[in-house]
Amino acid sequence: MSDPVVFSILLGLLLVLLAGGLWVALSLLVVALAGLTFFSNAPTGLVMATTLWGNSHSWPLAALPLFILMGEILLRSRLSQDMFSGLAPWLGRTPGRLLHVNVLGCAIFAAVSGSSAATAATIGRMSVPELTKRGYPESLILGTLAGSATLGFLIPPSVILIVYGVATEQSIARLFIAGILPGLMLVVLFGGYVALRAWLNPGMIPAEEGTPSLRDKLRASRNLLPVVALIGGVIGTIYTGVASPTDAAAIGVVFSLILAVASGTFSRRDFIEALLSATRTSAMIAFILMGASVLSVSMGFTGIPRNLAAWIGTFGLTPYALLAVLTVFFIVLGCFLDGISVVVLTTSIILPMVQAAGIDPMWFGIYLVLVVEMSQITPPVGFNLFVIQGLTGFDIMKIARAAFPFFGLLLLGVLLITLFPQIVTFLPDAMGN
Amino acid sequence: QTWDMPTPYGDTTFHTINIRDFAKDVSGATDGKLEVAVHSAGSLFPHSEIKNAVRSGQVPIGEFFLSTLANEDLAFGVDSQPFLATSYEQAAKLWAAQKPVITELLAKQGLMPLFSVPWPAQGLYTNGEIKTVDDLAGLRFRAYNPALEEFAMMAKAAPVQVEASDIAQAFTTGQVQAMITSPSTGANSKAWDFVDTYTKIDAWLPKNIVVVNKRAFDRLSADEQSAVMAAAAKAETRGWEMSKKEAADKIAAMQENGMHIVDPSPELEAGLQKIGDEMLVKWKEKALPDAMSVLQAYQAN
Amino acid sequence: MRRLLDKAYLYSAGLAALSILAICLLVSAQVCLNILARLGGPDLSFTIPSYADFSGYLLASASFLALAHTLRHGTHIRVNLVISRLSERPRWVLECVTLAVATLTSFYATWFAALMTMESWQYGDKSTGIVAISIWMPQSVMVAGLALLGVAFLDTLIESLRAGRSVIVDHTVE
Ligand code: NA
Ligand code: NA
Repeated sequence: MSDPVVFSILLGLLLVLLAGGLWVALSLLVVALAGLTFFSNAPTGLVMATTLWGNSHSWPLAALPLFILMGEILLRSRLSQDMFSGLAPWLGRTPGRLLHVNVLGCAIFAAVSGSSAATAATIGRMSVPELTKRGYPESLILGTLAGSATLGFLIPPSVILIVYGVATEQSIARLFIAGILPGLMLVVLFGGYVALRAWLNPGMIPAEEGTPSLRDKLRASRNLLPVVALIGGVIGTIYTGVASPTDAAAIGVVFSLILAVASGTFSRRDFIEALLSATRTSAMIAFILMGASVLSVSMGFTGIPRNLAAWIGTFGLTPYALLAVLTVFFIVLGCFLDGISVVVLTTSIILPMVQAAGIDPMWFGIYLVLVVEMSQITPPVGFNLFVIQGLTGFDIMKIARAAFPFFGLLLLGVLLITLFPQIVTFLPDAMGN
Repeated sequence: QTWDMPTPYGDTTFHTINIRDFAKDVSGATDGKLEVAVHSAGSLFPHSEIKNAVRSGQVPIGEFFLSTLANEDLAFGVDSQPFLATSYEQAAKLWAAQKPVITELLAKQGLMPLFSVPWPAQGLYTNGEIKTVDDLAGLRFRAYNPALEEFAMMAKAAPVQVEASDIAQAFTTGQVQAMITSPSTGANSKAWDFVDTYTKIDAWLPKNIVVVNKRAFDRLSADEQSAVMAAAAKAETRGWEMSKKEAADKIAAMQENGMHIVDPSPELEAGLQKIGDEMLVKWKEKALPDAMSVLQAYQAN
Repeated sequence: MRRLLDKAYLYSAGLAALSILAICLLVSAQVCLNILARLGGPDLSFTIPSYADFSGYLLASASFLALAHTLRHGTHIRVNLVISRLSERPRWVLECVTLAVATLTSFYATWFAALMTMESWQYGDKSTGIVAISIWMPQSVMVAGLALLGVAFLDTLIESLRAGRSVIVDHTVE
């Protein structure tokens, strides 16, 4: 059977299973097993066991439950409420008001965490209840969160850039630095979009009470001190070299626990609830990650993504045309596979093609991150969508609709770095000399 | 038929390039009856799972870093023993001594070694020159295996565990101040961004190994079997040459980017050799008979 | 029986929660040691051997041991778009089918995870870090977690069949 036929069959099966209400992790697993059994020579059960095991005990992944626990503690301790009441007076006149907290909160948290799922889970845990309570429109709350959480991959540290750097022998330090300006560019794009929507339709953003004087603003800002101390403390341990990025997650838990207890509103019962809730959320995400990793290995054995990528190589395209085709290819694959798998499965074939076309591999790494970020928010398989469904209970299709404008903004981001590659190369070049 | 082959390192690593050539040789010699599909950079199985995946027949063939098995038997880790074999010549002698023993050990797991290729000799990365072992005292030193931790302690340095992907950040933030690794890793992680000196202490030459599942190999026709063995022998010879060239190229690359490439002072060499000798004494206390036999065979000639 | 199963799910999740706490403690302790080393110099440099390996294995036990409780709590997510539009009866039938598929898949995974663990035990596979950990130990935790997940799916299937309606309420909003 030809690759497109096999791909369509597996895809059809995935859609049927998902629509039938089979749990997402198991849907991915069953499709993976079908792929291994019918379209490869590999012994299905053994490969599944090895993959489930091999991908469940990785050290960088250990940060995920810790960050989720940190979010749960902050949620139950008034610290998140305090953060919003401290910021509200300052953002009162900005179009979009507190929605910018989602964007900026994700951007700041992305400087600590290497993954977008952890970013969505931690920031969303605090911001979604608070913004909903204050009457902000649901679609923008969900959309800004799903979109901005993708910054977790672009603003260093970043799991994807590590994977790409190791696979292609690029300097990971330089890749990290190259991600900074594009990350800020996305912050501006996302913030600008929120402001534009609010400016076009002022009625949809709830008003803040009164016009606070500077003194009121400063008084309210005292509420921000604990959060600033928390963020400063965590980032400080990384940049003074006493903690690796994964270590930092544990420091975040300890700091937030200290602050929560000090605020006097956090009981032992709250702690146990926070811990159990974090345990469930991380098990939910880990289960889906495992299903996705078996699917990724199954695709590796069937060779479909490799063959499709190699097929693109036969077109003999100019650099811009190649990038356009690759973008479509990544978006399509990214709908059904998780982003990191797409990178891992196709880099071997695509990187030589890209280098032959004269494209800088470091630039291409950042391009890949942007494309992978898109795959995080496209249905049916999008990790940010899953995390936010876990947080809010809304169906992923509804979240995907809310996130769609941000998909468009990411695409715009890809266009911008393609037209102005200096956005990527400027900082690392400056560092090199 | 097609053999899926997982390998841990990226496509530009000379080990992977060598393996892709091996795959081509196998395909050519069997007129395409046996193809080897290389899955590089851990894209099929994580590095830690590759050996077991071959053992249980999930894939017929795979590559891994040989001394990761040192915790199973010290015979696997002799090539990572500091200052035991420090040149390609000695490394070849050590491999000749090691091969029959690990062939037997791997056979117990249904595995058969095809070929093994060393990384370039491991050098010392620091800021500022290290003239004697005393200069290492007090430095935060990257250690990722038992031998390196022991080495750091004996040099009175402070061992710090840093994962490979965090190296650059760890140096930039001062989490570590010194490491021992190959010129390949140094040049690929652009070590000049965070250290200024490379000292050619040639501490050891660790190897990657390619193993095949014995049952899968036995199922091949006699012609295919000899094609695989011939391609493997060729890959081993080619790989050792590539490794030598890699060492020269990567050291040159570091020099071009402004790093000081330093030959170790006689004092430093003597001090390091002394640590190496003491470590070997401790190693002998823990070694089982088969590991001891590797050492004896190596030291005999 | 009901109470026994519910307790098994909850205690298993409790162990998972303790694993997460243990990762947190282990890593924080190492960071404190790093700070101490910074202040006190080489004489006060200590490391917890293989703390990254231990954290990884604790992560695996946190993930696997919590699977069953997470299911019963309604936290594992699925796409509700289609099933939420069905009427009670077809919805129940579909739910039983998905539960049956889920039960089979979980036990299938348990079986092969157990085979893999047996093999690690037979060959005496060790972790590669500074402390040599026998791999079968953390792997058995994985087998236990998967087995309990299978039991939880089967339990839920039997409950649904008896009740004549779906019993899992997706409980994601807290
Ligand atoms: Na990040
Ligand atoms: Na997607």
